[in-house]
Amino acid sequence: MESLLTFGLAILSAPLFPGVILKVKASFAGKKGPPLLIKYFTLMKLLRKGSVYSTSTSFVFKMGPTVSFASAVMALIFFPLAGSKPVFSFQGDVIVLFYILGLGRFFTILAALDTASPFEGMGAAREAFFSMLAEATIFMVLILFYRMNGSLSLAGYFLGVHPITLVSANGALLLMVIVAMFMILLTENSRVPVDDPATHLELTMIHEVMILDHSGPDLALIEAGAFCKLLFYAAFITHLLVPPNLLAGPVYTAGFVTILVVIYIMIGIVESIMARFKMNLVPKYILTSFTLVSFAAILTTMGVV
Amino acid sequence: METFFTALAVLFVGGILPLFTYRWFRWMKTGYIVMTALGCLFGLFSVLQAFRHHGISAFSLSWLHLFSLSFSFDSISAFFLLPVFFICPLTAIYSFHYMNNERQAGRTAVNFFFFTLLIISMALVATADNIISFALAWELMSLSSFFLVMYEYQKETTRKAGYLYFIFAQAGAMLIFAAFAVAYSHTGSFSFDQFARIPSTAKLAVFFLALVGFGSKAGIFPFHIWLPHAHPAAPSHISAVMSGVMIKMGIYGIVRIYSLLQVNDLVFGQSVLIFGIVSGVLGVVYALGKHDIKRLLAYHSVENIGIILIGAGIGMIGIAMNRPMMAGFGFAGCLLHVLNHSIFKSLLFMGAGSVLQKTKSRHIDQMGGLMKRMPITGKTFLVGSISISGLPPFNGFISEFLIYFAAFQGLDLNRSSSILMMLAIVSLALIGGLAAACFSKVIGVVFLGEPRSRKVAGASEPGLTMTLPMVVLAFFCLVIGIYPQPFVNLAFQGLRDLHGSIMVSPAIILNLSGKLAMAARLFVGLLVVSMVLRRGLYHNKKVVDGPTWGCGFSRPTPRMQYTGTSYAMSVVEFFRPFVKVNTSYSGIREIFPLETTYETRVDDIAEISLNRGIIRPLLKVLGRMRWIQHGNIQLYIGYIILTIVVLLFFIYTT
Repeated sequence: MESLLTFGLAILSAPLFPGVILKVKASFAGKKGPPLLIKYFTLMKLLRKGSVYSTSTSFVFKMGPTVSFASAVMALIFFPLAGSKPVFSFQGDVIVLFYILGLGRFFTILAALDTASPFEGMGAAREAFFSMLAEATIFMVLILFYRMNGSLSLAGYFLGVHPITLVSANGALLLMVIVAMFMILLTENSRVPVDDPATHLELTMIHEVMILDHSGPDLALIEAGAFCKLLFYAAFITHLLVPPNLLAGPVYTAGFVTILVVIYIMIGIVESIMARFKMNLVPKYILTSFTLVSFAAILTTMGVV
Repeated sequence: METFFTALAVLFVGGILPLFTYRWFRWMKTGYIVMTALGCLFGLFSVLQAFRHHGISAFSLSWLHLFSLSFSFDSISAFFLLPVFFICPLTAIYSFHYMNNERQAGRTAVNFFFFTLLIISMALVATADNIISFALAWELMSLSSFFLVMYEYQKETTRKAGYLYFIFAQAGAMLIFAAFAVAYSHTGSFSFDQFARIPSTAKLAVFFLALVGFGSKAGIFPFHIWLPHAHPAAPSHISAVMSGVMIKMGIYGIVRIYSLLQVNDLVFGQSVLIFGIVSGVLGVVYALGKHDIKRLLAYHSVENIGIILIGAGIGMIGIAMNRPMMAGFGFAGCLLHVLNHSIFKSLLFMGAGSVLQKTKSRHIDQMGGLMKRMPITGKTFLVGSISISGLPPFNGFISEFLIYFAAFQGLDLNRSSSILMMLAIVSLALIGGLAAACFSKVIGVVFLGEPRSRKVAGASEPGLTMTLPMVVLAFFCLVIGIYPQPFVNLAFQGLRDLHGSIMVSPAIILNLSGKLAMAARLFVGLLVVSMVLRRGLYHNKKVVDGPTWGCGFSRPTPRMQYTGTSYAMSVVEFFRPFVKVNTSYSGIREIFPLETTYETRVDDIAEISLNRGIIRPLLKVLGRMRWIQHGNIQLYIGYIILTIVVLLFFIYTT
């Protein structure tokens, strides 16, 4: 029951945190910025509207948002948010999880190609390429975690007898994982420096250009899914930072949420002080994260566990 | 065993009949399909019987007074017979509307005859129990499939592809027979069960000779060169069977030899694993670079053979290191992927065949918008694409998951093995991402968007017998994805007669596959809820049709769409050293440019190096010896007599 409650709360609160990013960016620019609840207002606005569908599209275009939303929500089902048991968990669920996120991406790409627009095709090609590289980093992280505590599930990583966290004997290795996962978070959620969600030129976009033709409730589903996905990655890193058996109960939850917000603030800071990379630099950027994690994994084969 | 041979007899009669009845074209096809389906049903029944009754049933008869032909049925044979008897009747049904040229009735009948021979020979390969019967069945399989590839023999490309296939098949067979010869020289017996007794150095030679020989049939990189030529040349239902079922006989050979030799050394598993990783990654990269839909699918066979070998390699390492969990899940993933690949790959080839029949083109950059014109083909092809990309909730994911699971079990082995396991996991992840990229390209460019040529715009759904098998196969993709338990169990059953200690407790298997099923169903449930939610959100909303947003441009044409070539190019270039990209661009020189051309082609490095390293030197040497071949028959007979005399001399003196 408690896990279902946390799961529901996570989905409901997911649109709150991107508001933090906007606030941070605004304060860097010396502006007041939109209210914290801006994303809720956006969703409400979209849900009230109807849609325009391109005559080029087929049923795949309409399936895209639904599948990507369902896959992002599914990711949270396996997730032990703030130390509570996940809704569903088993040895190997991380593989299922990342493949289901892959399915969501597959349909987003198909929906983009369905519009017959050259811009959306361009975005789709970039998304397919970069996410393939990011997958390598993610599976390297899974390898490292398996070597650290022999588990293949998110609950096993963060709730087990030997949880994976920075404040443990082998925590030093996690420094590399945290940096790498933060880089992957920025990649997979189309943030600066890989992609710029606020840009206005279609040629330079990745994710935004793929969803150009979606409107109304369909666009709302995509946005809601994207918030869940961002929350998933941010909470993943938070778990690595939070000392698990420090204090139980509300104090732990408060600490968890604080660190979660700090990660969102970090995203905001990165977006304020950096520009988007040139496209040909992105693969190098992702491979850097891969190298970091493989270095950590290779260290474990040399006895550093 | 009796049911099995009854099945083969029914099939054979069914295969002979068309040769006499081809004048009544439709009746001939109907009769053939009924007989083939009946024979395969008998065959499936005998396979299921073999699974139910433990133990091995055998059959043998003497041949030419000298040799005995013996066949037997163990769990491994039974598992590999499943795709044979399941996929072949479906492709036979598909051929009813696909082979619709009544003027070529005679040729169609011959095609049917060889198709039957192919089914029978594959069944015999999987059950052969000594060297002679295996060699006979293997050759029959290679020859019948060669004639099937040569269906459109008037075309030069087909003849070239056919000969290339023939050379690879025979060179592979030569290596397999060499392996058998090495074994025979130690045991002095044709029987397979003596193989375990030969010394370990000889085992090494036998295994690696056989690995290369079987690998050239299975399409392991770099022995895969015939695949991308032969599959596009053959009729689509033949490509479906060759890619879905026949190349698996190469995998069967590798697993069989491994099991016969009863070897436990690490080197076998490690080399199979490395072959698997290389085939898997490079297969899918080349697939991304191809524009011919059937050639692209052929490269995906190379990729999937790679995944299957990764599973087998992990299994072998598991046996060598005495890790039953690793061995069990590795081999089970390997076997299940054999079954899964046969299902989705034949589905995809059938889909490609429908597109080919209706658009008369294989070039994906000329297509587009077929989802609206061929909805059943489009939807089943979409299911096949998701399955082959290994995405849940379809069948490809289940077998890939088992292989991942086995690989993770091996991460705490000693250094070299654990590094190999890391490589296996990362390359599986890469293969998954690349396959998803490649199939989003195929679906997006072929089926979605706007048609890029007039012929494609006028395409329509093919006949019922072509869509029905695709629907059946797509249905099975989903069933295995959502109810994996019986199929995972079947794969473990298939391992029963493999040597080594593969004892994975049924409770673990049941638990894991049950959880996988649960996850898949949960996702499907969530998807249905989201769809209902979406419908609710659109209740009473205004929905308008309009043109695609062109970023301010108001006169878009279908030719402005992103092409498959440009979609894949950045990924292909990323793998530059392993993939050769040839681009020719005429350039723009004048202020008012005239016609400009741009052409890009991705070349296979294995093919290039084969050409440079072997074929050209060989041609140079053999060219000098052309004078031997002068066309004078008397002298040819003289050669034969001379050879016999020399051989006799050689035999009598030693």
